Amino acid sequence: MRRRDFVKGILAASASARALAAQQVAPAAPLTPPAAPHTLPPATPVAAGPTPWMQGLMEVKPLELSTLVPDAVAQTDAHFFNPQQTATLERLCALLMPALKGYPGALEAGAPEFLDFLIGVSPRDRKQMYQTGLDWLDEESRHKFLVVFAKTTDLQADALIRPWLRPWMTDHPPTERRARFINLVHTDIRTATTNSQAWSEVAQAAGRTSAGLDLYWYPVDPDIHRATRAQMQSQGQGQPALGQVGRDQNAPRKRGI
Amino acid sequence: MAEETVDVLIIGSGHSGGMAAKILTEKGISSLMLNAGPVADVHKDTEVKPVYALPFRGFKNPGILPHVFQSDEFNANTWVDEKENPYTYDPQHPYNWVRVRLFGGRSLFWSRQSFRLSDYELKGKSHDGYGDDWPIALADLAPYYSRVEAIFRVSGHADGLPQYPDGNFVPDDSPWSGCMQRFVAAGKGMGVPVCKPRSSLGVDGLASSVNLLLPDAVATGKLRAIPNVVVRELSVDKNTGLVNEAHFVDRLSRREMSVKARVVVLAAGTLESTRLLLNSKLANSSGVMGHYLIDQIYGAGIACSVPEARDGKGAPDLMGGGGLVPRFRNIDTKAKDFIRGYALNLYSNPHGMDPRHFAAYGEELQTKLDSYHGSGFSAGIMGEVLARYENHVSIDKTVVDAWDIPALHVETKYTDNEFNMARDAVDTAVAMAEAAGFEVLTKNYDPNPPGYSIHELGTCRMGDDPKTSVLNKWNQSHDIKNLFVVDGSAFVSGGWQNPTMTILSLAMRSSEYLAEQMRQGNV
Repeated sequence: MRRRDFVKGILAASASARALAAQQVAPAAPLTPPAAPHTLPPATPVAAGPTPWMQGLMEVKPLELSTLVPDAVAQTDAHFFNPQQTATLERLCALLMPALKGYPGALEAGAPEFLDFLIGVSPRDRKQMYQTGLDWLDEESRHKFLVVFAKTTDLQADALIRPWLRPWMTDHPPTERRARFINLVHTDIRTATTNSQAWSEVAQAAGRTSAGLDLYWYPVDPDIHRATRAQMQSQGQGQPALGQVGRDQNAPRKRGI
Repeated sequence: MAEETVDVLIIGSGHSGGMAAKILTEKGISSLMLNAGPVADVHKDTEVKPVYALPFRGFKNPGILPHVFQSDEFNANTWVDEKENPYTYDPQHPYNWVRVRLFGGRSLFWSRQSFRLSDYELKGKSHDGYGDDWPIALADLAPYYSRVEAIFRVSGHADGLPQYPDGNFVPDDSPWSGCMQRFVAAGKGMGVPVCKPRSSLGVDGLASSVNLLLPDAVATGKLRAIPNVVVRELSVDKNTGLVNEAHFVDRLSRREMSVKARVVVLAAGTLESTRLLLNSKLANSSGVMGHYLIDQIYGAGIACSVPEARDGKGAPDLMGGGGLVPRFRNIDTKAKDFIRGYALNLYSNPHGMDPRHFAAYGEELQTKLDSYHGSGFSAGIMGEVLARYENHVSIDKTVVDAWDIPALHVETKYTDNEFNMARDAVDTAVAMAEAAGFEVLTKNYDPNPPGYSIHELGTCRMGDDPKTSVLNKWNQSHDIKNLFVVDGSAFVSGGWQNPTMTILSLAMRSSEYLAEQMRQGNV
């Protein structure tokens, strides 16, 4: 309370100062009638000045407004993958994570569009892994079945995918190039799907009320120079390759400390 | 202009800094604590959110925190941003340096595993001839371990194993679940002990400097603290050779400042303390500062399923709970291709399975996930990394952090001893799991990169000989008697054990010694 009064005082002082400054350019105040004898002189008229910009914010209550995430009503403008790569990715999504048991599949969850965005802002090595992997899959399909991967039957697609599937442990995806691509893209598609709002809504309706909820940390007293610094340092500086970056709700939380 | 000289300056606020503050202030010694980061307020700085509402749908901001495998998009803002605070390494030998600069440091986020070192670690050279013995033994540390365990409320079961020393426990007499009983029995058949885990219960689930140590220091009225100041350098009085001043920069404004002190206690975390001393060009007459960087092997392990728990039959008496296989190699017998040893962390998972454990997709995968739900069992290594002179850190003069402080260069790699140990751990875990009747779904022999365990230790090792060590057995600099380093950098060897209890015990022991030396006028 004491702090609030102090801040109010600061704001008031600031307002007075601005009002004084404003007097120099403000229109002249209307003439006042002559004061009657034996009465106190009238208060000095205050010229109209700009309203202090932060006025009233100390008392305002948080706005009770139910907000949306963009995915609830909007589509992602996908532009990273070329049309052929996009078609291949969409086919992979339909194959690897179809709608099941009332839960949306990857296509319904918008996974292809989200991954187009995510990979498009990812480090170079991850972009390359996706682009070369999708191109390779398409070429394999043309070579073996004379159709683009997007047009494969489930049987044909399975013949291309299954030889590369591996069981693996967190942080240790397969190291062979093809297997690495297939297994990482599979995990990414699953994560993009199970972390979607569409998935969450079905989980909520099924009574899994805490599904996907966790404690999010905002930046704590962030460095005011951080953005500039990071921008400078990232220019021309690639990031090391990583095995995986997604948060899989089914995976155990990593430990270490 | 303030011209105060503080009695003790403590740099760092994690477990070691918090313990130093608690002990020193309770002895009546005024202390000033400097911390590189802000004070976190969970009520102000956090919010429960659905993952879909995060900017990257739970994937993290790509390219951010590439070395913090433990991070996710929910907690990404709590770790040190390595673009702001970089370090360098040979790309062929990456290192994961995982840091927290919030007040309380990494004591805010840790696994709570609470172990004592045994004399197999503290006197390792005497046992197998490798490396160096510590200048202290378990008997020296045991009284401090007991007091620390009381503060942190360590839950455990007394097993009577010399390589897994018992402590001052909140007794854990809980029964084993059925699957754990089977694993225990499998271990007996192979001569491998399986014990209850030991972990800090703390208070209300938190076992941190900020709730178990610093409040006691604050209550004395003797502790003051400054957040958001990054210490650049320590300097010495040219006449006395004693450290007398810390130069720091305000994290936000970049204002350069300094504070005078009679004693400096470094508790910034192993590599930050060493970095500060190397940048200050102090306390290194031995030339070993920065060398003997140690950590522990993590990442190698297995994932299994308990067949009887599938298809909804994983009742609580069958599934759940954890265990620990303490070191058993190279105790009474000799392993053929590695020295020292490892432990295995065991977890029985009554929840969902990780889809990555199955080579399947679509409906086939979902069918497996449904069937295997609640039947998971995993084992993961915690292995000793040998202390080697060549594993070291130095100052990289070509790279500076956001405050223009020269960055650290890390040179470390694992050798056959670590890789062979990891292979033995996985093969042993597979054999035990199969003997217990579990289905092994997948296994991994490759350790995570050095540093992943977040147990970086050494680089200011203690010893009796000032020519081969940086600190004496009291964590006091051989060169500068009013300089103490109370974090993990003092370690001579790391063992397989989570080092937190040892760091805390050493910090307590060192701080009591310092207080007594100050009382006697020796420091």
